Amino acid sequence: MTSHNEKNDSPMTCAEFQEHLPELFAAGSEGAMDDPKLLEHLKTCENCSALVRDLQYIADQARQLLEPTHDPSDNVWEKIKNSMAAEAPTPDLEKI
Amino acid sequence: MEIQGQQMTEPKAGPGLFKRNPPIAGEAEAIERAKAGDGEAFSKLYALHKRRVYTLCLRMLGNVSEAEDMTQEAFLHLFRKIGSFRGESAFSTWLHRLTVNLVLMHLRKKGLQLVSLEETINPSEEDAPKRDFGSRDVQLSGSVDRVALERAVASLPPGYRMVFVLHDVEGFEHNEIATMLECSTGNSKSQLHKARLKLRELLRQPEPMISGEMKETAL
Repeated sequence: MTSHNEKNDSPMTCAEFQEHLPELFAAGSEGAMDDPKLLEHLKTCENCSALVRDLQYIADQARQLLEPTHDPSDNVWEKIKNSMAAEAPTPDLEKI
Repeated sequence: MEIQGQQMTEPKAGPGLFKRNPPIAGEAEAIERAKAGDGEAFSKLYALHKRRVYTLCLRMLGNVSEAEDMTQEAFLHLFRKIGSFRGESAFSTWLHRLTVNLVLMHLRKKGLQLVSLEETINPSEEDAPKRDFGSRDVQLSGSVDRVALERAVASLPPGYRMVFVLHDVEGFEHNEIATMLECSTGNSKSQLHKARLKLRELLRQPEPMISGEMKETAL
């Protein structure tokens, strides 16, 4: 952890670095860290670099949740079918 | 399609949208036949998309009964509005946007004021993620399986879960989420960051610590 220092040319603190994270992640790889102070902090602070790695890992892993795992009960389709038949009673709908 | 004052438009198909929602074999033909009132074709569309629509509802609502009701609503809306689908985006993207709008409308009716998102869906102090200015801990990389992540997502406070599911799972952009939730883009980014921080905290806890109402439904 980097110690806090008020001077402008002083190293960035963890709190200061972490304030930038929502924007940095939103910018993605296109807006990669171009601020040398952010880069310097990331290179030298083990805690913040682990945090960034973990948050990126979570975002990456979230994509596997896109593949669905839950099925609605058969009752749902029955209700949909009945409502559709009531709204548009056509011979076609009665077949399904 | 008009849902709660929002015009239902088709998102422009960027390369990412079709990559995340690739066309499904037989889908295009089923859409055209369903537009012409073919019931069997609609049944096929239901079979192709029911799991993703239901899973999306379940993740957003955290409740099986409500998720089934909203799945039913989504497909009935689809039945009524499929004629307005012009194929400018992937069909599943269009259907998911329709579903998200219906779920949000349902939540608003229940009293969740999404207009003042900042105040109403922010979690309580004890739910908020801890700031991480110094503690060193075990790294997550490589250690999180799908089941653990699903459980942790189910344990998130509703506001965090909503933004995380819409952005990181469903692939909506912050500006789209901001429009849907009627909040600022900055608020969407901030909620997402807090959601990921909270997930990190949950995933680093021993497994029995991760609990939630949806535990049994999340698996």
